[in-house]
Amino acid sequence: MTAAAGAVRPGAALRFAGRRLAGLALTLWATSFLVFGAVHLTPGDPARYMLGPRGVTPAAVAAIHAQYHLDDPVPVQYVRWLGGVLHGDLGRSIQFRQAVSSVLGPRVAITAQLVTLAALLTLIGVALGVLSAVRPGPIDTTILVTTTVATAMPAFVVAILLVSVFAVQLGWLPAVGSGDGPLDRLQHLIMPAIALAVSLIGLLARVTRASMLDQLGREHVEVARARGIPWGRVVRRHALRNALGPILTVSGTLFAGLLVTTSIVETAFGIHGLGELLVKSVAQKDLPVVQALGLITVAVFVVTNLVIDLLQPLVDPRVSLGASAA
Amino acid sequence: MLTKRTRRSPLLMLGLATSLALVLAACTSGSTKTPTQSAADELSVDTPAAKGPADSITWALYAEPDNLDFTTTFDYPPNTVLANVCESLLRIDSHFGIRPGLAEKFTNPDPLTWVYTIRQGVHFHDGALLTPEDVAYSLRRNTGPDTGSYWAGFFRNVTSINVTGAHEVTVKLKQPDAVFNQVMATAQGTVDSKAFMVAKGKEYGTATGLVDCTGPFSLTSWASGQSIELTKFAGYWDADHAAKSPAIKFLFIDDASARTNALLTGEVDGTFGVPDAGVPTLKTATDGTLYFGPQTAVTSLIVTNFAGPLKDRRLRQALSLALDRSGYLKAAFAGRGEPASTIVSQMSWGQGPQQPVFAAAAQALPPSAYDLAKAKALVAEAPKQTRPIWIVSSSVDPPIELLALAMQAAGKAIGLDVKIRNIEPDKYTLLFDPSNDYYKEANADHVDLLYTDWYADIADPLEVYANLATGGAANYGGYTNPAIDKLVAQALAEPDPAKRAAITVQIQALSVTELPWIPISYRPNNVFLNQRITGAPTTNAYLYYPWAAGLGAPTATP
Repeated sequence: MTAAAGAVRPGAALRFAGRRLAGLALTLWATSFLVFGAVHLTPGDPARYMLGPRGVTPAAVAAIHAQYHLDDPVPVQYVRWLGGVLHGDLGRSIQFRQAVSSVLGPRVAITAQLVTLAALLTLIGVALGVLSAVRPGPIDTTILVTTTVATAMPAFVVAILLVSVFAVQLGWLPAVGSGDGPLDRLQHLIMPAIALAVSLIGLLARVTRASMLDQLGREHVEVARARGIPWGRVVRRHALRNALGPILTVSGTLFAGLLVTTSIVETAFGIHGLGELLVKSVAQKDLPVVQALGLITVAVFVVTNLVIDLLQPLVDPRVSLGASAA
Repeated sequence: MLTKRTRRSPLLMLGLATSLALVLAACTSGSTKTPTQSAADELSVDTPAAKGPADSITWALYAEPDNLDFTTTFDYPPNTVLANVCESLLRIDSHFGIRPGLAEKFTNPDPLTWVYTIRQGVHFHDGALLTPEDVAYSLRRNTGPDTGSYWAGFFRNVTSINVTGAHEVTVKLKQPDAVFNQVMATAQGTVDSKAFMVAKGKEYGTATGLVDCTGPFSLTSWASGQSIELTKFAGYWDADHAAKSPAIKFLFIDDASARTNALLTGEVDGTFGVPDAGVPTLKTATDGTLYFGPQTAVTSLIVTNFAGPLKDRRLRQALSLALDRSGYLKAAFAGRGEPASTIVSQMSWGQGPQQPVFAAAAQALPPSAYDLAKAKALVAEAPKQTRPIWIVSSSVDPPIELLALAMQAAGKAIGLDVKIRNIEPDKYTLLFDPSNDYYKEANADHVDLLYTDWYADIADPLEVYANLATGGAANYGGYTNPAIDKLVAQALAEPDPAKRAAITVQIQALSVTELPWIPISYRPNNVFLNQRITGAPTTNAYLYYPWAAGLGAPTATP
């Protein structure tokens, strides 16, 4: 521990985080431009979605276009949007006709809770991987087979299985919705979280197992054992700690990806979160919402990776911040 | 004057779900059992009346309403909610009969004038009294292009809407329009408080701005993405239609199987339009009952291109004769439904003096026969086909895909080359809008046949048949027939329902031989009710009728 803390100088960490946050701003800006352009390139007119299929008059279309400035050149629209964002105004949703922030608010909370719960569940994968590595034989084989199956299970298949067993057959857990109070919310989100987590648990277990086996076969572990250090301590301090590097890297990518996978699980469980909103908004060409969701996804991705990079030197003093960032 | 059901499901768009279909039509009224219906699907118009209040009723919608501003509510989810909160000048009942609403009386002193006497003592949910100024302001919101009202096309004949007395509003038309007064019983005739709408501005009708209105329930909360809650309005003017239960909560469950599960587990108490895939399970459910009822929707194929092979009437007739409708119904809906011989269901005939006219005309029509020999003869007579006939298919709903396949098989059986054009789900609705570029592109690429589940908003077949006139609101193919144009104009100018029906059946007779729309099937509406509750209509009148007011417990004791 002391060695790790010594390796990361607070000043260097701050400078590093500062550089990365500046990078985040730049990435967000570039993404916003790409998303804005991409949505404009796809065919279809948002005004048509607003007016629906009946009785569309050119005058009505023109009125909507004027209201949402849809006839301005794309760069002008982009600058107007960017100006709004810098003032904290994400624009108005075309499909819901209300401020994007009020559309996003409740959905951000639900998806964040769902993803966090799923992320906590993936820790089971790390535990299984360690167990698998230190207990060769039947336990290892069982875990290996189970996690292989788990890795191959798409979230929507798990969702269907869970609902039919625990909601419809046994009636233990609610099949749809997101609940009201904290306990009710947990009851509603546990199955979706498991559906999201199952394949990740499998994947993390396999990564952890491989990483642990690699470490357990190393010389320093042999030396530690030869010096009579208790086995449990060898596993924790000498093998697991060194194995955490690759596990963290994989987790970071998986965690950010969860935000996208939620669309399927949220739909299957009738939860109205960010994933479900993204699919719907793309279909309706609800540009302001798609833009905001694009920014959120990118921000989560960049911030997650930043956190992982900041954690790396803590678990492995040999990694310096500059090198891990490269 | 009609509505097309549009449906959006993220999961369907991902191609993972089975069916989100809510689409169902029927032609039988009353409680008669029809031979083609599977045994337990007896049709009824109402469910047993509630005897007492039911606490915490939860109702499923297949999607969250985009917003509840009445100028833009034209789809099942928003209308299902709004029908209980907002009221119109007139009101339909569960049989689509037209009754007085916020207007206690209406007169038609000359064909171009409708005078509405506004009911006194009606309160908005915020306590204010309803005034004729509120009525005029609300109706005018449908007339200009500024609000982007969905209904603007149906107000096209309106020249002025004015307050003409202490309790009177007068609408002037530029040409006679027998349908106009009837649609005042739908969302198009909605009245909300002028002060409220002005104060809310752009937020009106959204989850943050909500609506005011005069209905049996008030809209008390809308948690975006979560639920909409309605609370019984204590100051409601109509004691006979006051809400029986204190509140109702709507949940938005887009996925078909999630919706079925929620009904099976009792998490929601009911829903209209159970997903097709869930029908067998819910029919045998022990915690509730699945009711079937007649409705105004009919499945049809709209001929969208009269420049291609289908400009020849004989080929339209041949394709119609070669389609095995019963086989299609069996494959798509386990036989629930009946082959259609017209594009208007029996529910849309109405209950008044016009009803016998339509009934007699239906008797005289040839049934929709499956006759390959006759179809082949027609194909032989017609000029040789120069290009394939394109039918639209889309994964937006499995029955659309199945019908496309059935039509392809029908074409093959009689030597016609029918090809399937797949359209992305989100583009499907665009094919119903002739003014947009995608529609033009698709038609330049030849789209000849387009699937629709078309529901009539009111019980007057003229609302549907007026679409076949040149320039009709839903004349997607640009079909023109001088005889139909003349009859539609005559019928719109005829105030007497029976006489209007006599003209309308002439249009109907032309439509079944001309086939600008090819009728496919009448299918029942359905509603699932948990055993805790009863009192919902089984027809699709729930779009505009304050149906939730009747919901309550089956027994008087709480």
